[in-house]
Amino acid sequence: MSFRFQKTAVLRHETVLLLVLVLEVVFFQLAGRNFGTVDNVANIVRHSVEIGLLALVMMPVILTGGIDLSVGSLLGLCAVLFGKLWRDAGLPWELAALATLGLGALAGGFNAALITGLRLPPLIVTLGTYSLFRGLAEAITHGTDAFTRFPERFLFLGTGRIAGVPTQAWIFVAVGVAVWLLVHRTTFGRSWRAIGFSPEGARYAGLPVTRRLVLAYMLAGLMAALAAITYTARFGTAKADAGTGYELAAITAVVLGGTSIFGGVGSVHGTLLGVAAIAVLTNGLSRVPATMSNAAELSGLLTGALLIVALAGGALPGRIGARRRKEHPPAVGAPVSDPA
Amino acid sequence: MKRHFREFSVTGALLLLLVSLAIFAPNFFEPQPLLSRLTAAAPKLVVACGIALVILSRQIDISVGSLFAVCSLSAGLLAAAKLSLPVAVLASVGLGAVGGALNGALVAVLRLPSIVVTLATMVMWREGLRLAQQGVFVNLPDGVQWFGLPMAAGQGIVCGLALVVLLALAYALRFLAVGRFVYAVGSDAEAARLAGIRPRLVTFGVFILLGALTGLAAVMNLVQSPQVDPSTGRMLELEAIAAVVVGGVAVSGGRGNLWGVLAGFLLLACITPALTYLDVKPYWDKAIQGAVILLAVVADGVRRRKLNR
Amino acid sequence: MSAVLQLTSVTKSFGAVRALKGVSFELRAGEVHALLGENGAGKSTLIKIITGAHQPDGGTLEIGGQQVAQLTPQAAHRLGIACIYQQPALFPDLTVSENIGLRLESVSVLRRVNWSARRERAAQLLQRLGADISPDAEAGSLSMPEQQLVEIACALGAGARIVIMDEPTASLTQKEQHRLFTVVRELRASGVGVIYISHRLEEIFALADRVTVLRDGESVGTRNIGAGQSAVARCMANERPESPHPGPLPGGEGERQPATRPAVRVPFAEPLTTILPLPSGEGRGEGVRDSRPAGPPNPSTPPITESELIRLMVGREVSSIYPAAEGEPGEVVLALSDLGCTAGGVRHITLDVRAGEIVGLAGLVGAGRTELARVLFGLTPADSGEIHLNGHSVSIRSPQEAVAHGIAYVPEDRRRHGVILEMPIAHNLTMAIHPRLFPGTWLRFGAERSHALESMRDLAVKAAGPDAPGGSLSGGNQQKVALARWLATKPRVLILDEPTQGVDVGAKSEIHKIIRRLAQQGMAVLLISSDLPEVLGMSDRIAVMRGAEIVAMMPRGTEAHAVMAAALGQGRGES
Repeated sequence: MSFRFQKTAVLRHETVLLLVLVLEVVFFQLAGRNFGTVDNVANIVRHSVEIGLLALVMMPVILTGGIDLSVGSLLGLCAVLFGKLWRDAGLPWELAALATLGLGALAGGFNAALITGLRLPPLIVTLGTYSLFRGLAEAITHGTDAFTRFPERFLFLGTGRIAGVPTQAWIFVAVGVAVWLLVHRTTFGRSWRAIGFSPEGARYAGLPVTRRLVLAYMLAGLMAALAAITYTARFGTAKADAGTGYELAAITAVVLGGTSIFGGVGSVHGTLLGVAAIAVLTNGLSRVPATMSNAAELSGLLTGALLIVALAGGALPGRIGARRRKEHPPAVGAPVSDPA
Repeated sequence: MKRHFREFSVTGALLLLLVSLAIFAPNFFEPQPLLSRLTAAAPKLVVACGIALVILSRQIDISVGSLFAVCSLSAGLLAAAKLSLPVAVLASVGLGAVGGALNGALVAVLRLPSIVVTLATMVMWREGLRLAQQGVFVNLPDGVQWFGLPMAAGQGIVCGLALVVLLALAYALRFLAVGRFVYAVGSDAEAARLAGIRPRLVTFGVFILLGALTGLAAVMNLVQSPQVDPSTGRMLELEAIAAVVVGGVAVSGGRGNLWGVLAGFLLLACITPALTYLDVKPYWDKAIQGAVILLAVVADGVRRRKLNR
Repeated sequence: MSAVLQLTSVTKSFGAVRALKGVSFELRAGEVHALLGENGAGKSTLIKIITGAHQPDGGTLEIGGQQVAQLTPQAAHRLGIACIYQQPALFPDLTVSENIGLRLESVSVLRRVNWSARRERAAQLLQRLGADISPDAEAGSLSMPEQQLVEIACALGAGARIVIMDEPTASLTQKEQHRLFTVVRELRASGVGVIYISHRLEEIFALADRVTVLRDGESVGTRNIGAGQSAVARCMANERPESPHPGPLPGGEGERQPATRPAVRVPFAEPLTTILPLPSGEGRGEGVRDSRPAGPPNPSTPPITESELIRLMVGREVSSIYPAAEGEPGEVVLALSDLGCTAGGVRHITLDVRAGEIVGLAGLVGAGRTELARVLFGLTPADSGEIHLNGHSVSIRSPQEAVAHGIAYVPEDRRRHGVILEMPIAHNLTMAIHPRLFPGTWLRFGAERSHALESMRDLAVKAAGPDAPGGSLSGGNQQKVALARWLATKPRVLILDEPTQGVDVGAKSEIHKIIRRLAQQGMAVLLISSDLPEVLGMSDRIAVMRGAEIVAMMPRGTEAHAVMAAALGQGRGES
């Protein structure tokens, strides 16, 4: 039975990815300058926190067989909202941050309402909110306004260190552990997986399909808001274009990490490995003299190639996906509930 | 009427917008600025038509923006190297077709999900281009802009090309067997196979066609300015998909037509200038575009629920 | 009479299950040959072999007098075999005329589509079927019977000479049935061989020339059906010219090359002129019961009667193999009064189920049995009437609420709904008891595993282990897992929908024993089954459904034919 090998295939995928990561580290340690220094490692972490946070919550969404294209735009909107609340509404930054988190979750809930309430394909709904959220951010700032001069205590979130580790790394670790537990150790993760394999099957099993989906998308919204806060703290400015293209980076990391775009299959540690593989590649290339000037481009190129190789190589999850596609009409973003 | 409800409603919305413009901002219809706007938008329409084909066959392609940039640059470099313009055009279209074939092969032959395949090729084309070009603009020699013709004539050619592509594809989709095969494959690939159609071949072909159209659109865009921006085509895929979706093509495949795509495209394209004319600040542009997309899909969802009862 | 299709000693096994154990079957040109048998008797396997979907393990297959090896679906199509399934494979987004056009026109890519010709031809074919379907309607908007008619129109247009109809009337109204019968008779009159699968004996007697009964993968006999056929019809049919008409197909327009047709083809639709006057000229329906063509039944076997046929089909003594009930049922657990759901397709349901009692829900496919289960389980919540559980009025708006009230539903389609194939057995088994087994939402793998092992042992699930995916199990074991998932919720009311469909004989009787044991433990069981002996043997009382309503309540020990008659609506003034 082909099903038999599924779990081992995922394990193998993650093992291979880990191997790739180790090879990257060894290679850059040998070929790069100052790659393995404490400062550089901190640097890698700092730069990958926002995309990492988005990837961590994109993973459950994709696990349910959905997708969320709006998280990058929502990051921008939340950054702007945070700035607005702090500067123009005069809230203390702590309160503004809390309010932003709430608004982010609300925006995720908006996606979820359209997806579950009207049974619309997630791809199209979040394509719409992708434009809407970014557009609202631009409208609020009139396209030009930028919020700056945040208090030191706030900037510490993005630039400071606690016990020698960048502040946002602590946040990232906390979120990572939480999401890992959620996906792998709670009934929420179990339900997401069941929904990803078979939304109808999950419904017939008495699982609260709608509530679980709402949770996944709200979590994505919440984390986009959190990423907006660390992003703003890292750069010291909040602008409408914050996080442009981050949704695709996050999806790339998740798929590279072995999560099937058709849902059901995947792991949070795989996603983390995906994030790390891309982050180390980008940073490492900037430490090697030969590639120093073109690190970003080369890393993008290699990531794209890696993605295709990972997909084509993981033929088995792909085959299962191909078979499932026949049962579930649209390739991505099928209406999530039993239409009967 | 019932079957083409979506096309009618989008056209209705477009007409409403145009009428309100005619009343509140008659300046909008002055020929020269109108022609300029249409010309600037024409390449997007060509890409949107190609995307419509892909979505009709129940796939998606988000790599067109990057491919568009690669084609633009290549054509620009060839033109700058004093090769004749037709050669540059052919090269651009050919390169586009090759790019499309790459996506098509990965999707149709290896059966990988198109969203992820084109996400990967999107990143690869874009980064490859940045690597090769390092963000340097390409200056085009004389005789390239507007095909070396007076501006009005050049604009006429660009708009005419878009129109020809639109009509030809609309004709093929409606009246050629192969066009109907696209619908059949998008509607139910298994039923298509039983009817003797080869779904994977159709999918492959549709991707190639989209690539070629992207190459053509790149040239149509290229001739409008004296230089080529290597970061051109950003967000093109999303704008094109938005036009297609607003125009009533279902992402579940097999449903929609190019008339709707044209209406959806014009609706989205007219919003920006309409906003300026109607004295809405341009920074609302994107939010309103997003709202229009959501409105279109929500209307679909509500309508479907009603029909199901 | 020439045989257009001849199967000889065909065998087919799936793993250890022998689906066909040497079946021979003959279909003549111009006959309607009914294929009858219980679920799992091998009908669908036989059909799949004829349509090329399965390859037989042994035996021979002759089509049009020529032996065919390695029949593929495409080759079957080319040889003029068409199958009309219960769920037609149409393009839902395209119009009817296009659906027909895509099937019948050539696949050359750059051909111009002639919409008016396409439309005309579709209209013509549909008219020939007497179908009141607009060629411009979207296929997805048609009802199931209308879609079937479109499929038949395709078969007609393709000049099929072997048409297989798989329970075509399952969801048809009386009027639609009559129309379909007319169509089938016309097909027969034009020399097509029709294989007609149905559970409705009434139909078989009205329509078929011969019947073959399958039981447990074997053909238990082919009999003539001929009693009381109308002499008028016979005369009329005999006037049909015997010589084949060489002209092109009326709907074919020669778009398909003659070369693709086998030489021995029985030209289809040759007697178009003789077909059309039949319904209009002679007054269809009532008067002309049958327009049987020539091809006299084999005189050596006398026509079969209805009761003989049932006996042939059921085969064994019903009561002996089913576990008997002991003791009296207890309190009423589930009471429904005038329950209805417009969207869900049930109305005026009044029914009691007592603790320890098995109430069978009999009826034809589409009679509203599964629909009732979906209403009770909150998948399509009721919009009228009341549900009482242990005397308390409850409202059930979602499956979660149903589960909370102690209702469990083991669905009919276990591969789509009953078990998540990709997930491990253990996960499937615990899916309905997350709140109880995993307090605070934290998964407890040890508890899950021991629960899974215990359930698997209780129901004797044969599997590699609790971590094996659901898809790796055989049908019977999947069914046991689906059942065990719901037993874990300790339900008060257990609804079982076709619990033994597609399950081999051994697992079947195991499942029967489990069901009886559960009732004995005090559960109120609602058993939906199309397997008549099963309903008769298992149920303490039988509710018969027809047309979304319960039409009869019958006690244990009711005869099969009485239930069948109620399900068919006989004795209520209908034909």
